[in-house]
Amino acid sequence: MNKALVILEGVSTGYFSETVLKDVNLEIFPDDFIGVIGPNGGGKTTMVKVILGLQPLFSGKLRFPGGRPKIGYLPQASQIDKSFPITVHELVSSGLKSKYSWFPHLSFGQRTRVKRMLEDAGLAGISSKPIGELSGGQLQKALLSRALIDKPQLLILDEPNTHVDKQFEQELYGWLRDLNKEMAILLVSHDIGTIFPMVKTIACVNRILHYHPSNQLSEEVLKIYNCPVDIIAHGPVPHRVLKTHDHE
Amino acid sequence: MSEFLSIFEYQFFRNALAAAVLTSVLAAMIGTYIVSRKIVFIGGGITHASFGGIGLAFYLGLNPFFGAAVFGVMTALGIEWISKKGKVREDSAIAILWSLGMALGIIFVFMTPGYTPNLMSFLFGSILSVRAPDLIILLVFCLLLIIVFAVFFRPILYTAFDPEFARTKGISVDAYRYLMSVLMAVAIVLSIRTVGIILVLSMFTVPQLTAMLFTRNFARIMPLAALWGISGSVIGLMAAYLLDIPTAAAIIFFLTIQFLIIKLIVIIRDQLRRERFRQ
Ligand SMILES: Nc1ncnc2c1ncn2[C@@H]1O[C@H](COP(=O)(O)OP(=O)(O)OP(=O)(O)O)[C@@H](O)[C@H]1O
Ligand SMILES: [Mg+2]
Repeated sequence: MNKALVILEGVSTGYFSETVLKDVNLEIFPDDFIGVIGPNGGGKTTMVKVILGLQPLFSGKLRFPGGRPKIGYLPQASQIDKSFPITVHELVSSGLKSKYSWFPHLSFGQRTRVKRMLEDAGLAGISSKPIGELSGGQLQKALLSRALIDKPQLLILDEPNTHVDKQFEQELYGWLRDLNKEMAILLVSHDIGTIFPMVKTIACVNRILHYHPSNQLSEEVLKIYNCPVDIIAHGPVPHRVLKTHDHE
Repeated sequence: MSEFLSIFEYQFFRNALAAAVLTSVLAAMIGTYIVSRKIVFIGGGITHASFGGIGLAFYLGLNPFFGAAVFGVMTALGIEWISKKGKVREDSAIAILWSLGMALGIIFVFMTPGYTPNLMSFLFGSILSVRAPDLIILLVFCLLLIIVFAVFFRPILYTAFDPEFARTKGISVDAYRYLMSVLMAVAIVLSIRTVGIILVLSMFTVPQLTAMLFTRNFARIMPLAALWGISGSVIGLMAAYLLDIPTAAAIIFFLTIQFLIIKLIVIIRDQLRRERFRQ
C-alpha cells in the first residue's frame, strides 16, 4: 500500500478550554476520496484546520510520513469576505507560492499558469471582476482554481456546495472525480445523499464519542452515532468514523 | 486672482500644500488596507491612544509626536496581539485603550507645570505651522510605504484577505500583520500633525470610499484614493484661506463633499440605466 500523506494520531483540539475534537485518528492516502459528514458544530472545519496545520493541538500528533504534502484548500463560504476588494485574477494567483519568500513575486511561468487556469475554469472573461460581483457558482469556481493552481497532492473542500445550484454541484462532482485520479480529496459536506455515490470512504465527525469498527454505512449506523445527516442513497459504502466527544 | 495666487509666495502655505499632498499619499496607502480589512475602529483606537503619548511627552519635556508614535505603535501591536490570542473581545480592548489614552493625555497635560500646550493644535492639526523637517519625515515615510507596498504587495493583500489560506501557502502571516500594524500607527501619528486627532480618520477612509465607487481592485484603490485625497485637501486648503475657516475641518469637509457628489452621480447613473432597461 501507498505511504499515507497525512496522519492524525490521537488528536484532541478545541478553542480555549472547550474541546471540540477528542482522540481523532485518521490517515489520508494519495488516492483517497474521503467524504466528511457530521452535524453543524460537529468539528468538521476544525478537523480540516488540524490537517492544514492551522489549529494548535491539545494533544496527539499530526504527521506527514513523506514530508509535508502540497495541500489545496477551499474554505467554507462563511470564511470568505466577499466585500473585500480583490479580483478573480488576484484570488487565483494567491494560490501560488513564490519561489523566494523574501521576494514574493510571481515568475513568468507562474503568471502563464494563472492565465491558463482562468481559461480552463471558464473565468477568463471575468478575471478582472472583484469577487463581490460573482455568482455563488463563479465564486466557488474561483476558489477551486485557487486551491488547484499549485497542483496539490491533497485537495480539501469545506462544503463547496453551499450557495450553488444543483447543476453546478453536479459539474463540480464531475471535476472532482477526474481530479481524484491525480490527488487525494477530502470533501466536507452536510449532504451525504449527493456525495455518497462518488466518495470512496466516509468519516463522520460528530459530538458523540463513538467508534465504529466496520466499513458498512447504513442509516441505522448513523443513528447509533447520533449523526443527524440525511441518507438518501442506501447500500454499503466503506467508511471511517472518527472519535469525537459530547459537548454536554 | 493675482491676490489669490500670491498666497503661493508664502513659505508656510507652500509647506502646508506639500504636507497635504504627502499626508494624502500615505493615508491613501494605509487607508486602503484599513478600509479593505474593515478595521476603521482599530484606527480610531490607535489615534486616540496616541493622545496619551502626547500628554506624557509634554510632561517629560519630550517631542510630543515622539510620545504619540510610541503610544500609537504599542497600541497597534497590543490590539493585533489581543486579536490573535482571541481571549478578550477585540472591540472591548480597543474601547479601553481608546478612552484610557485620552484620559492619560488630559491628565498629563494638566499636570505639566507652567506652559500649557496648545491642545487645539493636536485635536485639530496645525498644517499651517508645518516646517521643512516635518516635510522630510513625511516624504521619507511615504517613500518607505511605497517601497513596502511595491515589494510585498502580494503577501500584504493575501494576509489581509484570507490569513488562514495565506498561512497554508507558507506566508509569515503574523510578521506581515505586525508590520502593517506598525506602519498603520506611524502613518496615523504623522497625519495627526496635519489634520489632528479628531479628523484624522477621515483622511484614511473617505478618499478610499470615493475610490471604491470606481474600482473594487485593491491595487487600483490606492492610487485613486491618493488622487481624491490630494484634490480634496488642496481644495480644502484653498477654501480655508479664502473663507478664513479652520484648515483641517475644511479639508475633511471637501473630502466628504467629493464623496457625496460622486456617490450621487453614481446613484443617478444607475437609476437611468435601470429605467432604460425597463423600456
Ligand atoms: N474560532 C472559534 N472560536 C471558538 N470556538 C469555535 C471557533 N470555531 C469553531 N468553534 C466551535 O467549535 C465547534 C466546532 O466547529 P466547526 O466549525 O469545526 O464545526 P463544523 O462541523 O465545521 O460545523 P458547520 O457544519 O456549521 O460548518 C463549534 O461548537 C464551534 O462553536
Ligand atoms: Mg464547518
